[in-house]
Amino acid sequence: MDLVISLSLGFIGIVLINNLVFTKFLGCCPYLGVSGRLDMAFGMGLAVTFVTTLAGTLTWLIDHLFLIPCGLEVTRYVCYILVIAGAVQLVEMYLRKFFPPLYESFGIFLPLITTNCVILGLCLFLNIWGIKNFLEAVVLSFGAGIGFTMAICIMAGIRETLEDADIPECLKGAPITLITAGLLTLGFMGFAGMIK
Amino acid sequence: MENMLILASVMESIQTIWPAAALMFGLGTGFAVVLLIADIKLRIEQDPKITDIYNALPKIDCGTCGFAGCSAYAKAVAADPELLGKCSPGGAAAMNRIAGVLNLQISGSGAPRRPIVHCRGRCGDKTFYASYRGIESCISANAQPPVQACTFGCLGYGDCTRACKFDAMEVCDGLVAVNYEKCTGCGACAKTCPRSLIEMVPFVEDPMLTVACSSKENGKTTRAFCKVGCIGCGLCAKQTDLFVVADNLSRLNYEKYAPSAPMHTAMTKCPMKVIVFRGKNAPADVSPQPAAAAAP
Repeated sequence: MDLVISLSLGFIGIVLINNLVFTKFLGCCPYLGVSGRLDMAFGMGLAVTFVTTLAGTLTWLIDHLFLIPCGLEVTRYVCYILVIAGAVQLVEMYLRKFFPPLYESFGIFLPLITTNCVILGLCLFLNIWGIKNFLEAVVLSFGAGIGFTMAICIMAGIRETLEDADIPECLKGAPITLITAGLLTLGFMGFAGMIK
Repeated sequence: MENMLILASVMESIQTIWPAAALMFGLGTGFAVVLLIADIKLRIEQDPKITDIYNALPKIDCGTCGFAGCSAYAKAVAADPELLGKCSPGGAAAMNRIAGVLNLQISGSGAPRRPIVHCRGRCGDKTFYASYRGIESCISANAQPPVQACTFGCLGYGDCTRACKFDAMEVCDGLVAVNYEKCTGCGACAKTCPRSLIEMVPFVEDPMLTVACSSKENGKTTRAFCKVGCIGCGLCAKQTDLFVVADNLSRLNYEKYAPSAPMHTAMTKCPMKVIVFRGKNAPADVSPQPAAAAAP
Protein backbone atom coordinates (compact mmCIF):
# COMPACT_ATOMS: atom_id res chain seq x y z
CA MET A 1 0.00 0.00 0.00
CA ASP A 2 2.84 2.32 0.85
CA LEU A 3 4.31 1.61 -2.55
CA VAL A 4 1.07 2.57 -4.34
CA ILE A 5 0.82 5.82 -2.37
CA SER A 6 4.41 6.78 -3.01
CA LEU A 7 4.09 5.93 -6.70
CA SER A 8 0.92 7.97 -7.17
CA LEU A 9 2.39 10.88 -5.20
CA GLY A 10 5.49 10.69 -7.38
CA PHE A 11 3.33 10.67 -10.52
CA ILE A 12 1.26 13.71 -9.44
CA GLY A 13 4.45 15.39 -8.33
CA ILE A 14 6.21 15.10 -11.67
CA VAL A 15 3.11 15.99 -13.69
CA LEU A 16 1.98 19.05 -11.72
CA ILE A 17 4.52 20.20 -9.19
CA ASN A 18 7.88 19.36 -10.68
CA ASN A 19 6.65 19.60 -14.25
CA LEU A 20 9.87 19.64 -16.25
CA VAL A 21 8.60 22.24 -18.72
CA PHE A 22 7.15 24.68 -16.20
CA THR A 23 9.57 24.46 -13.31
CA LYS A 24 12.81 23.29 -14.93
CA PHE A 25 12.29 25.05 -18.29
CA LEU A 26 13.31 21.96 -20.20
CA GLY A 27 12.00 21.13 -23.66
CA CYS A 28 11.15 24.69 -24.59
CA CYS A 29 11.96 24.13 -28.26
CA PRO A 30 9.10 21.77 -29.12
CA TYR A 31 6.96 23.42 -26.42
CA LEU A 32 7.00 26.65 -28.45
CA GLY A 33 7.64 25.15 -31.86
CA VAL A 34 4.97 22.46 -32.22
CA SER A 35 2.26 24.04 -30.07
CA GLY A 36 0.54 25.77 -32.98
CA ARG A 37 -2.24 23.23 -33.36
CA LEU A 38 -3.83 21.05 -30.70
CA ASP A 39 -3.83 17.75 -32.62
CA MET A 40 -0.15 18.10 -33.55
CA ALA A 41 0.76 19.10 -30.01
CA PHE A 42 -1.03 16.04 -28.66
CA GLY A 43 0.78 13.78 -31.14
CA MET A 44 4.11 15.33 -30.21
CA GLY A 45 3.30 14.87 -26.52
CA LEU A 46 2.53 11.20 -27.06
CA ALA A 47 5.74 10.67 -29.04
CA VAL A 48 7.76 12.35 -26.27
CA THR A 49 5.89 10.33 -23.63
CA PHE A 50 6.79 7.13 -25.42
CA VAL A 51 10.43 8.12 -25.74
CA THR A 52 10.75 9.31 -22.14
CA THR A 53 9.17 6.14 -20.77
CA LEU A 54 11.41 3.95 -22.87
CA ALA A 55 14.56 6.01 -22.36
CA GLY A 56 13.97 6.61 -18.63
CA THR A 57 13.39 2.92 -17.95
CA LEU A 58 16.30 1.75 -20.07
CA THR A 59 18.74 4.30 -18.70
CA TRP A 60 17.76 3.45 -15.11
CA LEU A 61 18.35 -0.24 -15.87
CA ILE A 62 21.66 0.40 -17.60
CA ASP A 63 22.71 2.72 -14.78
CA HIS A 64 21.95 0.19 -12.05
CA LEU A 65 22.98 -2.97 -13.90
CA PHE A 66 26.17 -1.83 -15.59
CA LEU A 67 27.36 1.64 -14.76
CA ILE A 68 27.21 1.66 -10.96
CA PRO A 69 28.52 -1.91 -10.42
CA CYS A 70 31.39 -1.30 -12.86
CA GLY A 71 32.12 2.16 -11.46
CA LEU A 72 31.61 3.72 -14.87
CA GLU A 73 29.43 6.67 -13.86
CA VAL A 74 31.57 8.96 -16.03
CA THR A 75 30.10 7.45 -19.18
CA ARG A 76 26.57 8.19 -18.01
CA TYR A 77 25.88 11.09 -20.41
CA VAL A 78 27.20 9.23 -23.44
CA CYS A 79 25.21 6.11 -22.61
CA TYR A 80 22.04 8.09 -22.03
CA ILE A 81 22.36 9.93 -25.34
CA LEU A 82 22.90 6.61 -27.08
CA VAL A 83 19.78 5.14 -25.52
CA ILE A 84 17.67 8.20 -26.32
CA ALA A 85 18.88 8.37 -29.92
CA GLY A 86 18.08 4.69 -30.39
CA ALA A 87 14.61 5.09 -28.89
CA VAL A 88 13.86 8.08 -31.12
CA GLN A 89 14.92 6.14 -34.19
CA LEU A 90 12.52 3.41 -33.16
CA VAL A 91 9.64 5.86 -32.71
CA GLU A 92 10.41 7.45 -36.06
CA MET A 93 10.26 4.13 -37.89
CA TYR A 94 7.07 3.20 -36.10
CA LEU A 95 5.34 6.48 -36.94
CA ARG A 96 6.47 6.40 -40.56
CA LYS A 97 4.97 2.97 -40.91
CA PHE A 98 1.68 3.37 -39.06
CA PHE A 99 0.91 7.12 -38.92
CA PRO A 100 2.29 8.70 -42.13
CA PRO A 101 0.28 11.96 -41.82
CA LEU A 102 1.59 12.51 -38.30
CA TYR A 103 5.09 11.68 -39.53
CA GLU A 104 4.80 14.24 -42.35
CA SER A 105 3.43 16.99 -40.11
CA PHE A 106 6.16 16.57 -37.47
CA GLY A 107 8.86 17.11 -40.05
CA ILE A 108 12.15 18.01 -38.42
CA PHE A 109 10.73 18.00 -34.89
CA LEU A 110 10.59 14.22 -34.77
CA PRO A 111 14.35 13.57 -35.08
CA LEU A 112 14.80 16.61 -32.83
CA ILE A 113 13.18 14.67 -29.97
CA THR A 114 16.68 13.19 -29.69
CA THR A 115 17.90 16.52 -28.43
CA ASN A 116 14.76 17.26 -26.43
CA CYS A 117 16.14 18.19 -23.04
CA VAL A 118 13.04 16.87 -21.21
CA ILE A 119 14.26 13.37 -21.95
CA LEU A 120 17.93 13.70 -21.08
CA GLY A 121 16.93 15.92 -18.15
CA LEU A 122 14.58 13.28 -16.80
CA CYS A 123 17.15 10.49 -17.14
CA LEU A 124 19.65 12.57 -15.18
CA PHE A 125 17.07 13.69 -12.59
CA LEU A 126 16.19 10.05 -11.91
CA ASN A 127 19.79 9.70 -10.89
CA ILE A 128 20.02 12.96 -8.93
CA TRP A 129 16.82 12.25 -7.02
CA GLY A 130 18.30 8.87 -6.11
CA ILE A 131 15.45 6.69 -7.33
CA LYS A 132 16.22 3.22 -5.98
CA ASN A 133 13.04 1.46 -7.10
CA PHE A 134 12.58 0.23 -10.66
CA LEU A 135 8.78 0.73 -10.61
CA GLU A 136 9.22 4.26 -9.37
CA ALA A 137 11.63 5.01 -12.22
CA VAL A 138 9.09 3.73 -14.76
CA VAL A 139 6.24 5.73 -13.23
CA LEU A 140 8.31 8.91 -13.04
CA SER A 141 9.48 8.52 -16.64
CA PHE A 142 5.92 8.05 -17.80
CA GLY A 143 4.76 10.96 -15.63
CA ALA A 144 7.38 13.27 -17.10
CA GLY A 145 6.06 12.49 -20.57
CA ILE A 146 2.46 13.06 -19.47
CA GLY A 147 3.53 16.34 -17.85
CA PHE A 148 5.11 17.45 -21.11
CA THR A 149 1.98 16.42 -23.06
CA MET A 150 -0.19 18.37 -20.65
CA ALA A 151 2.00 21.47 -20.89
CA ILE A 152 2.19 21.46 -24.69
CA CYS A 153 -1.56 20.78 -25.03
CA ILE A 154 -2.50 23.65 -22.68
CA MET A 155 -0.17 25.88 -24.66
CA ALA A 156 -1.61 24.73 -28.00
CA GLY A 157 -5.16 25.31 -26.77
CA ILE A 158 -4.32 28.85 -25.68
CA ARG A 159 -2.50 29.56 -28.91
CA GLU A 160 -5.41 28.33 -31.02
CA THR A 161 -7.66 30.76 -29.16
CA LEU A 162 -5.08 33.52 -29.55
CA GLU A 163 -5.28 33.10 -33.33
CA ASP A 164 -8.65 34.87 -33.28
CA ALA A 165 -7.75 37.35 -30.56
CA ASP A 166 -7.07 41.02 -31.27
CA ILE A 167 -3.39 41.14 -30.36
CA PRO A 168 -1.42 44.39 -30.67
CA GLU A 169 0.73 44.39 -33.79
CA CYS A 170 3.99 44.49 -31.85
CA LEU A 171 3.12 41.39 -29.81
CA LYS A 172 1.99 39.13 -32.65
CA GLY A 173 3.78 35.82 -33.07
CA ALA A 174 6.63 34.93 -30.77
CA PRO A 175 6.23 37.72 -28.13
CA ILE A 176 2.68 36.80 -27.13
CA THR A 177 3.65 33.13 -27.10
CA LEU A 178 6.50 33.80 -24.69
CA ILE A 179 4.26 35.96 -22.48
CA THR A 180 1.70 33.15 -22.43
CA ALA A 181 4.40 30.65 -21.51
CA GLY A 182 5.54 32.89 -18.67
CA LEU A 183 2.03 33.32 -17.27
CA LEU A 184 1.41 29.56 -17.49
CA THR A 185 4.59 28.94 -15.55
CA LEU A 186 3.51 31.46 -12.90
CA GLY A 187 0.23 29.58 -12.58
CA PHE A 188 1.95 26.23 -12.16
CA MET A 189 4.38 27.66 -9.59
CA GLY A 190 1.33 27.84 -7.33
CA PHE A 191 1.45 24.06 -6.93
CA ALA A 192 4.91 24.23 -5.36
CA GLY A 193 4.97 22.79 -1.86
CA MET A 194 1.70 20.88 -2.28
CA ILE A 195 3.52 17.58 -1.76
CA LYS A 196 6.31 17.53 0.73
CA MET B 1 64.12 3.86 -18.26
CA GLU B 2 62.02 6.76 -19.55
CA ASN B 3 60.57 4.57 -22.28
CA MET B 4 59.53 2.04 -19.68
CA LEU B 5 57.72 4.73 -17.73
CA ILE B 6 55.78 5.93 -20.79
CA LEU B 7 54.91 2.34 -21.66
CA ALA B 8 53.69 1.72 -18.14
CA SER B 9 51.49 4.80 -18.13
CA VAL B 10 50.04 3.83 -21.51
CA MET B 11 49.30 0.33 -20.23
CA GLU B 12 47.68 1.79 -17.16
CA SER B 13 45.42 4.09 -19.12
CA ILE B 14 44.41 1.24 -21.40
CA GLN B 15 43.51 -0.77 -18.34
CA THR B 16 41.26 2.01 -17.04
CA ILE B 17 39.72 2.68 -20.43
CA TRP B 18 38.84 -0.82 -21.52
CA PRO B 19 35.75 -1.39 -19.33
CA ALA B 20 34.21 1.87 -20.58
CA ALA B 21 35.13 1.05 -24.16
CA ALA B 22 33.73 -2.45 -23.86
CA LEU B 23 30.51 -1.16 -22.31
CA MET B 24 29.99 1.46 -25.01
CA PHE B 25 30.77 -1.10 -27.69
CA GLY B 26 28.31 -3.54 -26.18
CA LEU B 27 25.55 -0.94 -25.86
CA GLY B 28 26.15 0.30 -29.39
CA THR B 29 26.03 -3.19 -30.82
CA GLY B 30 22.89 -4.00 -28.85
CA PHE B 31 21.10 -0.93 -30.19
CA ALA B 32 22.36 -1.56 -33.69
CA VAL B 33 20.83 -5.05 -33.60
CA VAL B 34 17.52 -3.76 -32.21
CA LEU B 35 17.32 -1.01 -34.84
CA LEU B 36 18.25 -3.46 -37.60
CA ILE B 37 15.40 -5.75 -36.61
CA ALA B 38 13.03 -2.78 -36.36
CA ASP B 39 14.13 -1.55 -39.78
CA ILE B 40 13.35 -4.92 -41.34
CA LYS B 41 10.02 -5.24 -39.56
CA LEU B 42 8.87 -1.65 -40.06
CA ARG B 43 10.20 -0.93 -43.53
CA ILE B 44 7.73 0.65 -45.92
CA GLU B 45 7.94 -0.24 -49.56
CA GLN B 46 8.03 3.02 -51.49
CA ASP B 47 7.25 2.82 -55.16
CA PRO B 48 10.66 2.94 -56.90
CA LYS B 49 9.01 5.11 -59.57
CA ILE B 50 8.53 7.89 -57.00
CA THR B 51 12.22 7.83 -56.15
CA ASP B 52 13.13 7.91 -59.84
CA ILE B 53 10.77 10.81 -60.51
CA TYR B 54 12.13 12.66 -57.49
CA ASN B 55 15.65 12.20 -58.79
CA ALA B 56 14.61 13.66 -62.15
CA LEU B 57 13.29 16.84 -60.51
CA PRO B 58 15.53 19.80 -59.70
CA LYS B 59 14.98 19.37 -55.91
CA ILE B 60 14.77 23.08 -55.22
CA ASP B 61 11.29 22.95 -53.63
CA CYS B 62 10.20 26.18 -55.32
CA GLY B 63 6.50 25.28 -55.25
CA THR B 64 5.72 26.43 -58.80
CA CYS B 65 3.95 23.15 -59.50
CA GLY B 66 1.46 23.89 -56.73
CA PHE B 67 2.70 21.16 -54.40
CA ALA B 68 4.57 21.48 -51.12
CA GLY B 69 7.88 20.51 -52.66
CA CYS B 70 9.63 18.24 -55.09
CA SER B 71 8.92 15.05 -53.12
CA ALA B 72 5.21 15.88 -52.86
CA TYR B 73 5.09 16.61 -56.59
CA ALA B 74 6.88 13.32 -57.37
CA LYS B 75 4.21 11.39 -55.44
CA ALA B 76 1.42 13.32 -57.17
CA VAL B 77 2.82 12.74 -60.66
CA ALA B 78 3.30 9.04 -59.99
CA ALA B 79 -0.37 8.83 -59.00
CA ASP B 80 -1.72 11.06 -61.76
CA PRO B 81 0.39 11.48 -64.93
CA GLU B 82 -1.90 14.34 -66.01
CA LEU B 83 0.16 16.53 -63.70
CA LEU B 84 3.25 16.06 -65.84
CA GLY B 85 4.92 19.24 -67.04
CA LYS B 86 4.12 21.45 -64.07
CA CYS B 87 7.77 21.72 -63.13
CA SER B 88 9.03 24.81 -64.93
CA PRO B 89 12.52 24.89 -63.36
CA GLY B 90 13.09 21.34 -64.60
CA GLY B 91 11.69 22.20 -68.01
CA ALA B 92 11.76 19.80 -70.91
CA ALA B 93 14.66 17.75 -69.56
CA ALA B 94 12.87 16.83 -66.34
CA MET B 95 9.61 16.24 -68.16
CA ASN B 96 11.22 13.83 -70.61
CA ARG B 97 12.94 11.91 -67.82
CA ILE B 98 9.70 11.62 -65.83
CA ALA B 99 7.88 10.52 -68.97
CA GLY B 100 10.56 7.90 -69.43
CA VAL B 101 10.04 6.64 -65.87
CA LEU B 102 6.28 6.45 -66.38
CA ASN B 103 6.53 5.00 -69.94
CA LEU B 104 4.60 7.89 -71.42
CA GLN B 105 4.78 9.47 -74.85
CA ILE B 106 4.71 13.21 -74.59
CA SER B 107 3.82 15.58 -77.38
CA GLY B 108 4.01 19.32 -77.75
CA SER B 109 6.88 21.67 -77.26
CA GLY B 110 8.69 21.31 -74.02
CA ALA B 111 10.37 24.66 -74.21
CA PRO B 112 11.28 25.98 -70.75
CA ARG B 113 9.29 29.02 -69.68
CA ARG B 114 11.20 32.13 -68.78
CA PRO B 115 9.97 35.54 -67.71
CA ILE B 116 10.01 38.47 -70.10
CA VAL B 117 9.56 42.00 -68.81
CA HIS B 118 7.28 43.97 -71.12
CA CYS B 119 8.83 47.35 -70.45
CA ARG B 120 12.15 48.91 -71.25
CA GLY B 121 11.73 52.40 -69.84
CA ARG B 122 14.66 53.44 -67.71
CA CYS B 123 14.70 56.52 -65.52
CA GLY B 124 15.91 58.70 -68.39
CA ASP B 125 13.15 57.47 -70.72
CA LYS B 126 10.20 57.86 -68.38
CA THR B 127 8.35 60.97 -67.19
CA PHE B 128 7.52 61.57 -63.54
CA TYR B 129 4.95 64.03 -62.18
CA ALA B 130 6.65 64.23 -58.79
CA SER B 131 9.04 62.20 -56.70
CA TYR B 132 7.54 59.23 -54.88
CA ARG B 133 7.97 59.25 -51.10
CA GLY B 134 5.83 56.30 -50.07
CA ILE B 135 6.77 52.75 -49.11
CA GLU B 136 9.46 51.44 -51.40
CA SER B 137 7.44 48.72 -53.01
CA CYS B 138 5.71 48.40 -56.37
CA ILE B 139 2.46 47.21 -54.84
CA SER B 140 2.26 50.31 -52.66
CA ALA B 141 3.33 52.71 -55.41
CA ASN B 142 0.83 51.11 -57.80
CA ALA B 143 -2.04 51.58 -55.37
CA GLN B 144 -1.47 55.32 -55.03
CA PRO B 145 -2.17 58.12 -57.51
CA PRO B 146 0.43 57.86 -60.24
CA VAL B 147 3.73 59.58 -59.67
CA GLN B 148 5.21 57.92 -62.70
CA ALA B 149 3.33 59.13 -65.77
CA CYS B 150 3.10 55.71 -67.41
CA THR B 151 0.57 53.62 -65.46
CA PHE B 152 1.60 50.46 -67.33
CA GLY B 153 5.39 50.51 -67.06
CA CYS B 154 7.89 49.14 -64.58
CA LEU B 155 7.92 50.99 -61.27
CA GLY B 156 11.37 49.77 -60.37
CA TYR B 157 10.84 49.20 -56.64
CA GLY B 158 11.78 45.56 -57.04
CA ASP B 159 8.91 43.51 -55.62
CA CYS B 160 9.96 40.86 -58.12
CA THR B 161 13.58 40.93 -56.96
CA ARG B 162 12.37 40.13 -53.44
CA ALA B 163 10.02 37.42 -54.73
CA CYS B 164 12.83 35.74 -56.65
CA LYS B 165 14.49 32.97 -54.67
CA PHE B 166 17.32 32.64 -57.13
CA ASP B 167 18.60 36.20 -57.17
CA ALA B 168 17.84 36.42 -60.88
CA MET B 169 16.02 39.77 -60.93
CA GLU B 170 17.86 43.03 -60.72
CA VAL B 171 16.57 46.60 -60.77
CA CYS B 172 18.90 48.88 -62.63
CA ASP B 173 18.10 52.51 -63.34
CA GLY B 174 14.38 52.18 -62.64
CA LEU B 175 13.87 49.05 -64.72
CA VAL B 176 14.00 45.43 -63.74
CA ALA B 177 16.14 43.08 -65.78
CA VAL B 178 16.12 39.28 -65.68
CA ASN B 179 19.41 37.46 -65.30
CA TYR B 180 18.62 34.49 -67.52
CA GLU B 181 21.72 32.63 -66.35
CA LYS B 182 20.29 32.36 -62.85
CA CYS B 183 16.58 32.19 -63.72
CA THR B 184 14.91 28.81 -63.25
CA GLY B 185 11.53 29.87 -64.63
CA CYS B 186 9.59 29.37 -61.41
CA GLY B 187 7.29 32.30 -62.22
CA ALA B 188 7.34 33.93 -58.77
CA CYS B 189 8.14 37.32 -60.31
CA ALA B 190 5.23 37.13 -62.77
CA LYS B 191 2.82 36.46 -59.91
CA THR B 192 4.20 39.31 -57.82
CA CYS B 193 4.24 42.16 -60.34
CA PRO B 194 1.22 44.37 -59.55
CA ARG B 195 1.20 45.63 -63.14
CA SER B 196 1.48 42.16 -64.70
CA LEU B 197 4.42 43.28 -66.76
CA ILE B 198 6.18 39.98 -66.54
CA GLU B 199 4.98 37.19 -68.79
CA MET B 200 6.15 33.59 -68.69
CA VAL B 201 7.10 32.79 -72.26
CA PRO B 202 8.20 29.45 -73.75
CA PHE B 203 11.74 30.07 -74.91
CA VAL B 204 11.86 28.14 -78.17
CA GLU B 205 15.09 29.89 -79.00
CA ASP B 206 17.49 32.11 -77.18
CA PRO B 207 17.42 35.09 -77.51
CA MET B 208 13.68 35.63 -77.93
CA LEU B 209 12.20 38.62 -79.67
CA THR B 210 9.68 40.59 -77.64
CA VAL B 211 7.67 43.79 -77.62
CA ALA B 212 9.04 45.47 -74.52
CA CYS B 213 6.07 47.69 -73.68
CA SER B 214 2.66 47.29 -72.07
CA SER B 215 1.21 50.76 -72.59
CA LYS B 216 -2.36 50.73 -73.88
CA GLU B 217 -2.56 54.53 -74.13
CA ASN B 218 -2.85 55.96 -77.62
CA GLY B 219 0.28 56.73 -79.55
CA LYS B 220 0.33 60.43 -78.80
CA THR B 221 -0.01 59.98 -75.02
CA THR B 222 2.53 57.18 -74.89
CA ARG B 223 5.01 59.22 -76.87
CA ALA B 224 4.47 62.14 -74.50
CA PHE B 225 5.55 60.29 -71.39
CA CYS B 226 7.92 57.57 -72.60
CA LYS B 227 10.71 57.62 -75.12
CA VAL B 228 10.59 53.86 -75.64
CA GLY B 229 6.85 53.09 -75.59
CA CYS B 230 4.85 51.23 -78.21
CA ILE B 231 2.65 53.69 -80.12
CA GLY B 232 0.63 51.00 -81.88
CA CYS B 233 1.60 52.16 -85.37
CA GLY B 234 1.28 48.64 -86.76
CA LEU B 235 4.47 48.64 -88.86
CA CYS B 236 5.50 45.34 -87.32
CA ALA B 237 2.11 43.73 -88.02
CA LYS B 238 2.59 44.61 -91.71
CA GLN B 239 5.77 42.54 -91.79
CA THR B 240 4.44 39.36 -90.27
CA ASP B 241 1.15 38.24 -88.78
CA LEU B 242 2.94 37.10 -85.61
CA PHE B 243 2.50 40.63 -84.33
CA VAL B 244 -1.03 41.59 -83.39
CA VAL B 245 -1.86 45.21 -82.66
CA ALA B 246 -4.78 45.79 -80.30
CA ASP B 247 -5.51 48.57 -77.81
CA ASN B 248 -2.68 50.68 -79.23
CA LEU B 249 -0.21 47.96 -78.30
CA SER B 250 1.62 45.43 -80.40
CA ARG B 251 1.78 41.91 -79.03
CA LEU B 252 3.83 38.93 -80.18
CA ASN B 253 1.97 35.67 -80.49
CA TYR B 254 4.32 33.30 -78.68
CA GLU B 255 2.23 30.24 -79.46
CA LYS B 256 3.19 30.55 -83.14
CA TYR B 257 6.66 31.99 -82.51
CA ALA B 258 9.20 30.83 -85.03
CA PRO B 259 12.39 32.65 -85.95
CA SER B 260 11.97 34.20 -89.36
CA ALA B 261 13.36 37.02 -91.49
CA PRO B 262 10.23 39.28 -91.42
CA MET B 263 10.46 39.43 -87.66
CA HIS B 264 13.92 40.87 -87.84
CA THR B 265 12.71 43.37 -90.42
CA ALA B 266 9.93 44.32 -88.00
CA MET B 267 12.52 44.86 -85.32
CA THR B 268 14.56 47.23 -87.47
CA LYS B 269 11.46 49.04 -88.78
CA CYS B 270 9.97 49.75 -85.34
CA PRO B 271 10.12 53.53 -84.97
CA MET B 272 10.20 53.42 -81.15
CA LYS B 273 12.66 50.50 -80.99
CA VAL B 274 10.48 48.56 -78.52
CA ILE B 275 11.00 45.24 -80.31
CA VAL B 276 14.10 43.85 -78.64
CA PHE B 277 15.87 40.60 -77.89
CA ARG B 278 15.67 39.01 -74.43
CA GLY B 279 17.53 35.98 -73.16
CA LYS B 280 20.95 34.67 -72.27
CA ASN B 281 22.39 35.52 -75.66
CA ALA B 282 20.58 38.82 -76.11
CA PRO B 283 22.73 41.82 -76.97
CA ALA B 284 23.08 44.34 -74.16
CA ASP B 285 20.01 46.55 -74.05
CA VAL B 286 20.99 50.19 -74.17
CA SER B 287 18.53 53.02 -74.27
CA PRO B 288 18.23 54.52 -77.71
CA GLN B 289 19.86 57.86 -78.29
CA PRO B 290 17.49 60.66 -77.26
CA ALA B 291 17.84 62.21 -80.73
CA ALA B 292 16.54 59.08 -82.45
CA ALA B 293 13.62 58.50 -80.09
CA ALA B 294 12.59 62.12 -79.80
CA ALA B 295 12.27 62.55 -83.56
CA PRO B 296 8.73 63.69 -84.34
